[in-house]
Amino acid sequence: MKMTPKSILTTALATAFALSGALAQAQDTTTTTEEVPQTTPAPQADPQPATEPTVEPTVEPVAEEPAADTTSSTEPAAAPAEAPVAEEPAAEAAVEEQPVEEVTEEAVEEQPAEEMTEEATEEQPAEEATEAVVEEQPAEEATEEAAHGDDAAEHEAAAMADEDHGDDDAHATPHIENIDFSFDGPFGSYDVNQLQRGLQIYTEVCSACHGLQYVALRTLGDETGPNLPEDQVIEYSKQWDVFDPELDDTRAGTPVDHFPGSNLENAPDLSLMAKKRAAFHGPYGLGINQLLYGFGGPEYITALLTSYTGETKEQAGTTFYENTAFPGGWISMAPPLGDEQVEFADGHANDLHHMAEDVSAFLMWTAEPKLGARKQAGFAGVLFLTLLSVLLYLTNKRIWGPVKYKRRD
Amino acid sequence: MAGIPHDHYEPKSGGEKWLHSRLPVVGLLYDTLMIPTPRNLNWMWIWGIVLTFCLALQIVTGIVLAMHYTPQVDMAFASIEHIMRNVNGGYMLRYLHMNGASLFFVAVYAHIFRGLYYGSYKAPREITWIIGMLIYLLMMATGFMGYVLPWGQMSFWGATVITGLFGAIPFIGESLQTLLLGGPAVDNATLNRFFSLHYLLPFVIAGLVIVHIWAFHTTGNNNPTGVEVRRGSKEEAEKDTLPFWPYFVIKDLFALAVILTVFFAIVGFMPNYLGHPDNYIEANPLATPAHIVPEWYFLPFYAILRAFTSEVWVVQIASFVTGGIIDAKFFGVLAMFGAIAVMALVPWLDTSSVRSGRYRPMFKWWFALLVIDFFALMWLGAMPAEEPYASFSLIASAYWFAYFLVILPLLGVIEKPLSQPATIEEDFDAHYAPKVGGTKTIVNPAE
Repeated sequence: MKMTPKSILTTALATAFALSGALAQAQDTTTTTEEVPQTTPAPQADPQPATEPTVEPTVEPVAEEPAADTTSSTEPAAAPAEAPVAEEPAAEAAVEEQPVEEVTEEAVEEQPAEEMTEEATEEQPAEEATEAVVEEQPAEEATEEAAHGDDAAEHEAAAMADEDHGDDDAHATPHIENIDFSFDGPFGSYDVNQLQRGLQIYTEVCSACHGLQYVALRTLGDETGPNLPEDQVIEYSKQWDVFDPELDDTRAGTPVDHFPGSNLENAPDLSLMAKKRAAFHGPYGLGINQLLYGFGGPEYITALLTSYTGETKEQAGTTFYENTAFPGGWISMAPPLGDEQVEFADGHANDLHHMAEDVSAFLMWTAEPKLGARKQAGFAGVLFLTLLSVLLYLTNKRIWGPVKYKRRD
Repeated sequence: MAGIPHDHYEPKSGGEKWLHSRLPVVGLLYDTLMIPTPRNLNWMWIWGIVLTFCLALQIVTGIVLAMHYTPQVDMAFASIEHIMRNVNGGYMLRYLHMNGASLFFVAVYAHIFRGLYYGSYKAPREITWIIGMLIYLLMMATGFMGYVLPWGQMSFWGATVITGLFGAIPFIGESLQTLLLGGPAVDNATLNRFFSLHYLLPFVIAGLVIVHIWAFHTTGNNNPTGVEVRRGSKEEAEKDTLPFWPYFVIKDLFALAVILTVFFAIVGFMPNYLGHPDNYIEANPLATPAHIVPEWYFLPFYAILRAFTSEVWVVQIASFVTGGIIDAKFFGVLAMFGAIAVMALVPWLDTSSVRSGRYRPMFKWWFALLVIDFFALMWLGAMPAEEPYASFSLIASAYWFAYFLVILPLLGVIEKPLSQPATIEEDFDAHYAPKVGGTKTIVNPAE
């Protein structure tokens, strides 16, 4: 068929441009997350004083954050509005408050994570979770070994870059290893248990600074998403304070509300993070491997979370952390995740790599919640059109039969 | 209508006659559908149907998308996410529309290069060609404005760069740019007028498509031999042609189904393949992306635009002669539009009396080089503006102009064409040799 190679060729060239385009990144807010150490978004009952953004005022105002969200004081408490809320922030705050020197992995390990165990139960239908865990664990572990050792992100590959750091100093273009996510490939779909773990990690860790402004809380009940039962969605929603223009005040969230936006002006919203970053452009820049591996957004997030070296540097009053997956090599976000920082109710492995993958999968879902439906529709479409093509081919052959090779006397 | 003699619609019943004498609409439809079509058309003649389908697809999906989209700078990006997340089937509509634009351009480039190879632009089809070029220009304008609507980083900065081109025009440029943008910079006014025009232009295109079809239905289709259909009598014409329905309708639909299979695979399994990840970052006037790249279908002309820098001697001469009115930037703009203009003028630049490239031994090679050149420019347009890409771009751009302005006019004079078949029937039968002997030996799997 002549159209197939043609469209592939054209698209191939298009990807070549996408490739070079990836070199060009917005010095979007995402790149300079000026973060953490001082800010403790203490999620207490009285939100106002504690949560007023304690951001460094030096930074240029960046467009990504909607104004409304700054006012909505966010409580990143993991617990669905229950008793432990009060203590819990302590654990969390501890993570954030770490003095710069210790921001290495051992430091993170020290975090008391026990308190988080109970809530975990509520977020996950435990029976399901355990089953699935049993199945998937070996596979995941295997992948992981293959996919990213600590040094994985240090490989250099000329053709890839995801973002341009504010500093122009380094155009190091880190190589991102593929991870076999359950949602890759034409038939892939989200792993519900992984999304639930990712949600827990997001809630307990990421949400301290980042937001998910485009994601409606009700979608946590989506079958192809985290698939929480309705009552859990309601419970879960309550922990977020949402600004209600009618009340002109904040109130507890309900499923119809969205997740709050970022707490920090420079912490980018994570709703679309997995689609803003593309790590894969191969082979040979043709980008065709997207069909099998996806475009590498979640892989990039995983690599970013696991590629801190422990080195830090001070620059213009800001601490930067060395991260080999981050273009430019230095990121202002302190290492957010550490081994065993989050405890899963079902006892699922909670080392750094597993958790990084889980939260990446969750962020892929927040970026592309309709992935499952889309792939199904794509499959149905391809199947139907293939059948239609065959029928039309036969019809065509039959119609032209008498005309071609006709014996004319 | 002039054209190839064929049977026309004859109203039979009283009601048909009544209608026909007042509004011959059935006759118009009949004549359009039963138009005699050269029987030797090959598979490169299917792109017209694909293009018609694309236009319909884009209009239908676009109208529904417009019901949910908000053309306002603070809400545009969020409204796209609303479509992707909350609108029933919205994600599919948007991905179809997004990738539909790419399919549209794949098809239009195939269609244009088919015309260039088989000499479809030559007399008497110049008007068809010119209308086609107008449609292509409008498609580019529509595609460009549509890309701005999601209000991502590439939308915003693409709009800034492209409208900046108009600012390079001497004397009137600045006012023109302000008029386009509705202000000094890309902002809400820009977004609104782009939305309005993005909605309007497809209907202008649809109108032009009707004229395009009308024009070539008057002259008859070109065909791979470039030999005209015999028009002496209906019987003679019928030896060269077959009615559009059912022969070409079914053939085209088969091709369309195959193409749509690939299209659906892309939409379903890798919908962001042709997009740019930066466009999932909301537009931010304070953060310029390091490299701003247009959509893939603009890349060849974008490469030509960038190729002419102030170091190029042609540019320096132009600047010197015009006393600096034509600077490098304006020269680039002229070159970019010129690259399309020379294509539009090809009916008068090609001096050969032979239509089809099939019978032009030298032309074939130059044409193949032009196709390679086109893809090379597309690739170069995506590369950063630095060596060695800059030099390659210049060479590739030079060839583009040389092909139309030097090679085509010269070839007509120096080339010795091969002998052409006398009739289309002869060509068709040579291809599908009539069987000798009385028995039917056709192997037909459909039977």
